[in-house]
Amino acid sequence: MNSAPCLLRIKNVKALTLCLRAIAPTAALFRSPHARSPFMHSCSVQHSLRSLHGTGALLKIQPIDKDYGGKSGHEGDRDKSLVTHDELFERVARMSRTKATFNRVLDAFVKQDVRRRGHVEFIYAALKKMPEFGVERDIAVYNKLLDIFPKEVFVPRNFIQRMYNHYPRQQECGLEVLEQMENHGLMPNVETKVLLVQIFGVKSHPVRKYQRLMYWFPRFKNLNPYPVPHQLSQDPIELARFSLSRIAADLDAKVTVYQLPYTDVIESGEEVSQPYIVGIQSPDQRSLLAQHCTNRPVFVEGPFPLWLRKTCIYYYVLRADPLPPEEKVEEPFDPDRSFFYPLQLDLDLERDMGDDDSFDVDEVEEGPVFAMCMVGRGDQATLGQWISALQETNPVLGRTATLFRLESGPRELQSAAEPEPAPETEAEPGPTEEEEPLRSHGAKQ
Amino acid sequence: MALTPLKQIATRHRGHFLTLSPSLCSLVCGKRVNFMGVYRRPGEPRETVWPWKKIEFSFAKGVDGIYKHLGLLKDEMFQRFVGPQGRPIKEHMLEQTQVQWEFRGPESLSQWVVSSDREIGGRSEAYLKLGRNNTTCLLYGTICTTPPRDGETRYSGYCTLCSKQPRMSFDRKRHYDWSSFNSLHLRIRGDGRPWMINIGAETYFSHQSDDLYNYVLYTRGGPYWEDVKIPFSKFFLSSRGRVQDEQHQLWLDKVNTIGFTTGNEADGPFQLEIDFIGLCNDRAHTEEFAYEMYKRNP
Repeated sequence: MNSAPCLLRIKNVKALTLCLRAIAPTAALFRSPHARSPFMHSCSVQHSLRSLHGTGALLKIQPIDKDYGGKSGHEGDRDKSLVTHDELFERVARMSRTKATFNRVLDAFVKQDVRRRGHVEFIYAALKKMPEFGVERDIAVYNKLLDIFPKEVFVPRNFIQRMYNHYPRQQECGLEVLEQMENHGLMPNVETKVLLVQIFGVKSHPVRKYQRLMYWFPRFKNLNPYPVPHQLSQDPIELARFSLSRIAADLDAKVTVYQLPYTDVIESGEEVSQPYIVGIQSPDQRSLLAQHCTNRPVFVEGPFPLWLRKTCIYYYVLRADPLPPEEKVEEPFDPDRSFFYPLQLDLDLERDMGDDDSFDVDEVEEGPVFAMCMVGRGDQATLGQWISALQETNPVLGRTATLFRLESGPRELQSAAEPEPAPETEAEPGPTEEEEPLRSHGAKQ
Repeated sequence: MALTPLKQIATRHRGHFLTLSPSLCSLVCGKRVNFMGVYRRPGEPRETVWPWKKIEFSFAKGVDGIYKHLGLLKDEMFQRFVGPQGRPIKEHMLEQTQVQWEFRGPESLSQWVVSSDREIGGRSEAYLKLGRNNTTCLLYGTICTTPPRDGETRYSGYCTLCSKQPRMSFDRKRHYDWSSFNSLHLRIRGDGRPWMINIGAETYFSHQSDDLYNYVLYTRGGPYWEDVKIPFSKFFLSSRGRVQDEQHQLWLDKVNTIGFTTGNEADGPFQLEIDFIGLCNDRAHTEEFAYEMYKRNP
């Protein structure tokens, strides 16, 4: 191995003698990785150079060498697989997958070798394993991961190094850590910055990325007008309550839990589980339903998906078809409804030059929505229970035919895992199976 | 409008940044602008056919083209006697709102292009059709985030609806001039997934051809329509899916396309129903650009 350039850099004669003694073991150290992988000849030269610069490294050479000798047996069988560090995690994962065990793997790697040999590969492997261990949204773990990088080794020392991409593989690895943080919406903290500056130096790519994250994340943090918590409630009723009040878009709307989930044993010994039924209805919807003409049917439609971050839940809607134009009645304005201001103004707006902020589009003709619900089991019997429970507050439903337009959707409420057949939820009335009216009693009989 | 090329030269110094739609950009960092043309999937052989071999000549096509382009030319010539963009001058000057895209009938869908990560080898599906009563457009499909097994692509799972570049006669580009408005108004109905609005404006240099101005569109979900108003000052500049360090506001005088993208890493069905896309002038909104424009990361 060519150690001449190292020697050239040493000015002090005293240091030279010290280092000549030191070079022998370092050269031995770096011969083996060099022979193993043809990756970057110059890199290994620089490594040995670095060890010459740091006095601390010189003092430690003896124990490292011993350490290395002990490890060489393991190195041999590790060479056989391309993925070197996965098995470290796999071995731990057999016991339990928690933050504590993940941290223990990181500690084990740090203790294994003072030089942190192969840390880039290890960090890549750890990043991949993070979601398995459930620590992908934990800033402390990311900081610990960044802590694996050796400090002050990859900091550029002169303008040429600064000009070029100094230690590109390590910088890319650091970027990868930051990018995974970014993808999980996790904001780095000051500790991250200190670590990055120690490892890569100010103005390196990872520090730049950190600065960008710190610039843009606060700007986009509160963008969502309908915020969803990161941890959704595990209780399906709470979840249904949250999502129904979200889609109802009406503060007056009242959520009613019609039925709690329970299991009971009937006489024949079978266990019957009853699904939960949670519905929502606002006073406006109730008055709309009260005005509904009883010889027109109302429809129970669904299931329609609603996404809350990565969970998909389904809801059902009670609605009617839009009235045909000939049956529409203009509600006459009652001038006596307000004594204080006129409810109707007949002004000559043509004289005003504009300021017409309405859009020149036709309204979309759609039937009114009377109520919404979420159920544990989307079959007709359960939804029938919902309708009969709605009758208590809306007596019109007792006199109106109810049709069930249910699609062969998912029966489970939360099933976000497998992709279903292309949903024709909103659009096609054609393929939806129109089932027999469940109850068409009341006025017509 | 003061769209001087010099100004643009001064403003462009590229740095890669936050990922917007990760699958659009599979490189981590370090690489600045690279002039690759159309996306070529990893492992796909280079095309060896000469570009002129791909043109199919036919007499009927030529005649059709002449009819089409002369018709367009005639329209352009006579429209200017009515007023700017073929509308009376009073309407043009006084309007406070404008409906740019609406969906009335199947021919309105031909102005839009749907794409998904099928192009990069993913498995998402996206389709476009008219809504239930032929007055809305419904974009639906499924998202699958399994990345293609080509060894390079790391993220997948997106779909996009993008408007086509409007053309004048003889295939010259036509631009939308929205400079008298300051907000985008949409009437939509989504399913709770967040979307991203991408506006492509005309640029001067070829390395800016991937520039898009983006903003996020959050949907509430549920059976009700919602009106969304987004000021143009909030749109931030990105290129190849990375937010740029040096931001610039969107110049509204030459807007080419508008697009909607989703890709929030959630497998499953999605849908977005659009009633219309309009522009309005919000007189209470005076902000010019929402992000700092001083030199960052010097």
